[in-house]
Amino acid sequence: MIRLYHVTKTFGEQVALQDVTLKVSKGEFCYVTGPSGAGKTTLLKLLYAEHTPSEGKVMVGGVDLSGLTRRRRPYLRRNIGIVFQDFKLIESRTVAENVSIALEVLGFPRAGIQRRVRAVLNTVGLKGRERDLPRMLSGGEQQRVAVARAIVNDPAILLADEPTGNLDGAMAIEVIEILQAINLRGTTVMVATHDVGLMDRFPYRRVRFENGRLTREEKCRL
Amino acid sequence: MSALMAQILRRALRSLWENLYLNLVATGVIGAAVLMLGVFLMVIYNLNAITHDWAHDVHVSAYFHADVPVERRFEVKEAVAAMGGVQTVRYVSEEDARDYLVSRIPETQPVLQDLGAEVLPSSLEITLTPERARSPELKLLVAELEFPEIEEIDYGQQWVERFNAFLSLLKLLALILGGLIAMTAVFLVANTIHLVVYSRRQELETQRLVGATDDIIMAPFLVEGFIQGLLGAGLALLATLAVHSWVILRLQRALQLSLSEEPLRFLPLDYSLVMLAVGVLLGVVGAWTAVHRFLAKAP
Repeated sequence: MIRLYHVTKTFGEQVALQDVTLKVSKGEFCYVTGPSGAGKTTLLKLLYAEHTPSEGKVMVGGVDLSGLTRRRRPYLRRNIGIVFQDFKLIESRTVAENVSIALEVLGFPRAGIQRRVRAVLNTVGLKGRERDLPRMLSGGEQQRVAVARAIVNDPAILLADEPTGNLDGAMAIEVIEILQAINLRGTTVMVATHDVGLMDRFPYRRVRFENGRLTREEKCRL
Repeated sequence: MSALMAQILRRALRSLWENLYLNLVATGVIGAAVLMLGVFLMVIYNLNAITHDWAHDVHVSAYFHADVPVERRFEVKEAVAAMGGVQTVRYVSEEDARDYLVSRIPETQPVLQDLGAEVLPSSLEITLTPERARSPELKLLVAELEFPEIEEIDYGQQWVERFNAFLSLLKLLALILGGLIAMTAVFLVANTIHLVVYSRRQELETQRLVGATDDIIMAPFLVEGFIQGLLGAGLALLATLAVHSWVILRLQRALQLSLSEEPLRFLPLDYSLVMLAVGVLLGVVGAWTAVHRFLAKAP
């Protein structure tokens, strides 16, 4: 599903990723771990084509991203759900509107959007909160809205960049449980995190980065 | 209407409402620009109409040599009447010319009596079709009139040419000013819409991340620009009407301007449609510029 061949990414003089070769299979759950500045976020941004590699090749779902034009990029992203540490919810939009945005851009009919949004909010445990604004929700609930938005169009891949970084222990567990449930339905999930406790509790494959290099891999211990 | 089109329209209307103040400013800017254009168009249109009226009155006087026999003069008259672009031809004998002059300036009667009837030459008074009355068509016709029997041709050439040159200059000025106004309006509208884009950058960023194409992000703003342009130009059209009835007509009456016998006219339908089209164009181009700037900065 995801393949990187000798990928290097530099920003001027600064090397963010260096000679990374990695394979993530379809339906796999994989942590990308390492200290701050190790290159975790850069890796995820390469996967959703926010960055292009300076060297090497990135393949996502069989598509070589180095040849991906700006015009084709949105079609790649329609197959990738993205969850951010800071949620990136639209403050002036309700929960339902925040989730439905992913379907609106695909041209789904209104009735279909409402049906799917209700279903996905039910999945992430936010039934009845459709009309609330993000500021009325807790951090964990806001992150669940972000997860709902990422999965509402059934993407093949879910990328989560420090999804529990702003959450306390119980809320973090809730979010990872939701990601786990999504993975069990066949979605490939990659989670960037440095929360060792969480990774130990949900022991999936880990790839560790340090100073932009892939330094260690641990297989799933489930 | 497809679901996507409905979404785009809904988003545009919602954004118009949510950013009401900024959108009113953009509409006002477009309105002001189109109003200036409208007043200018009205001036040009009326000047065109006046010259068109004057064109009907262009007369060519062809004066005969004194020794041309009367029969020959009538033969020339027939030949001139057969020319293309000639509306009427009237033969004015020496006596008719003298009577006309005396009727206009009675003081000349004693002098003319002393000098005799032949002091004023006989002539052909030619009126032209409006198409033919304009330079350079007029010059071609005059060249055709140069019969050996004709001594001199008078058609107020210099005056007509000067007025046409003045009108061309005015049109050029209108074009330059219109261009400057349009550029300023696009700049102001683009910056105003850029503020709307900036206030919605979080939403647009999210749209990009969930797979919205640039076209889908752009489309609601173009619809907004279209609506702003149409509203602005519609208001400008009403304001131009107000300027016409409250200012121009009063000014014409107060100054007793007699450029034309008719009161100065309001813009006809095609000019009004041009104003609406310019308004819409300003709105759409302004919106496109603003969103394009935002999208170009996105990675």
